[in-house]
Amino acid sequence: MRLCGRGGKAVLAGWVWLALMPGLPAWALDVPSLSGPVVDVAHVLPPATVEQLSQELRAHEAKTSNQVAVLIVPSLGGEPLFDFSHRVATTWKLGRKGTDNGVLLLVALKDRKIRLEVGYGLEGVLTDARSAQIIRNEIVPRFRTGEFAAGVTAGVRAVLSTIEGTDHVPERPSPSPSGSDRLGQVLSAVIVGVVIGLVFSRTHRMLGPVVGGGVSFIAAPWLLPALIAGGVSLLLVSLLGGWGLSAGPRRGHRTSGFDETWFSTHRGGWGSGDLSGSFGGGDSFSGGGGDFGGGGASGDW
Amino acid sequence: MSMFVARMVLGSLLLTGILTSSGCGYNDLQGLDEDTKAAWSEVINQYQRRADLIPNLVNTVKGYAAHERETLESVVQARARATNVQITPELLKDEAAFRKFQEAQQGLSGALGRLLALAEQYPNLKADQGFRDLQSQLEGTENRITVARKRYIEKVAEFNKMVRYFPTNLTAKFLLHLDEKANFTVADEKAVAKPPEVKF
Repeated sequence: MRLCGRGGKAVLAGWVWLALMPGLPAWALDVPSLSGPVVDVAHVLPPATVEQLSQELRAHEAKTSNQVAVLIVPSLGGEPLFDFSHRVATTWKLGRKGTDNGVLLLVALKDRKIRLEVGYGLEGVLTDARSAQIIRNEIVPRFRTGEFAAGVTAGVRAVLSTIEGTDHVPERPSPSPSGSDRLGQVLSAVIVGVVIGLVFSRTHRMLGPVVGGGVSFIAAPWLLPALIAGGVSLLLVSLLGGWGLSAGPRRGHRTSGFDETWFSTHRGGWGSGDLSGSFGGGDSFSGGGGDFGGGGASGDW
Repeated sequence: MSMFVARMVLGSLLLTGILTSSGCGYNDLQGLDEDTKAAWSEVINQYQRRADLIPNLVNTVKGYAAHERETLESVVQARARATNVQITPELLKDEAAFRKFQEAQQGLSGALGRLLALAEQYPNLKADQGFRDLQSQLEGTENRITVARKRYIEKVAEFNKMVRYFPTNLTAKFLLHLDEKANFTVADEKAVAKPPEVKF
């Protein structure tokens, strides 16, 4: 049972994956921690600029929920620009889960490379072509004259004004539908199990509940719901099967009553609340679960 | 009656024990099967997106370098070949068809690489706004292909492991009739790791 649990399998899969992948590239530059909207590992921006940009980015985020972050590293350490940038963006999980409205501006000083990594949700507005234009027209000319602070600021402002119109009103994550879906699956598993079990009850008093419980167990999703569904069906069939043989008419009445109490006590349990990013006020800054599919543009100076 | 209930409980415990060892993985396998199909659709989708960009790109280049007929035609032909080979998710079991698809897409990557290398020699073309936009879109699409392929690889690895591990292999084989799915090989990855040189 333990072995079949999701956690155990994931760990096992992880080990097998590691064992099978001896050829993983050795670079794997560490992804810096997301200490704020502007992470300047290379220390090229004056503190005032970092402060100013951070404020603008936080304000934009509070207003639109778009999460834009800047990362400046001294060097890529030999890793291809896109690989590193995509790794950082997906590690930080900029943007909201589901909306995927994050943007990362990455600058690698020694490699003289710039990349705008755009989340799925903003690809339509901040297109590849627009990203390339921002890099080419706003950032590169200033970097060429050594004005890093001005270049980064201009780039960030161009990004913000491009995605400004796409207000994703900060929404509370709606209760995920998986809860009710799962409940429905368990319910149908129980119904199917009870029906089949009752049929088998006619051939043998013991066989019915066992078959019914077994069918529900197999039909229900995942282990815990399956155990519950199996148990419920087993009980139901043994009760109903007994009555069905002695006093049929009471059957329907009891079923509905039993089901209702069971589901009302369990209804609250299945919801899986998604953790959404906490940002806005205060010093904390963390990604909201956004995903990146490779959109954006690269450039160099 | 209480004796009966006790037996029932015992029986149900036994039953769940048996079922957990044999029935385990049914839903996980079904879920992963869908996941791999979805991941594959995304791969196809991004390759299609690349193919859709090509007519425009070819026309733009033609405007500045019409006499480079050979390179231009090879791109058009490679595109036609690549769009002719379509693999539906159901065909992923077919290793040969999968390879064919790979080869066609790689052929297109090569032809595109030559076209973009050629563009380097035409400063007017390089300065053309339309060409620049197409170039950035093409680069973005190559990146999206990389991401889609990476996600497909991960999903298929997960799926194939479940198809082979005990006891889920029994579920896969006898209950669901699922086979391992074709995956990109390391050789493919090396080819893809060097996308057509897109220089600015």
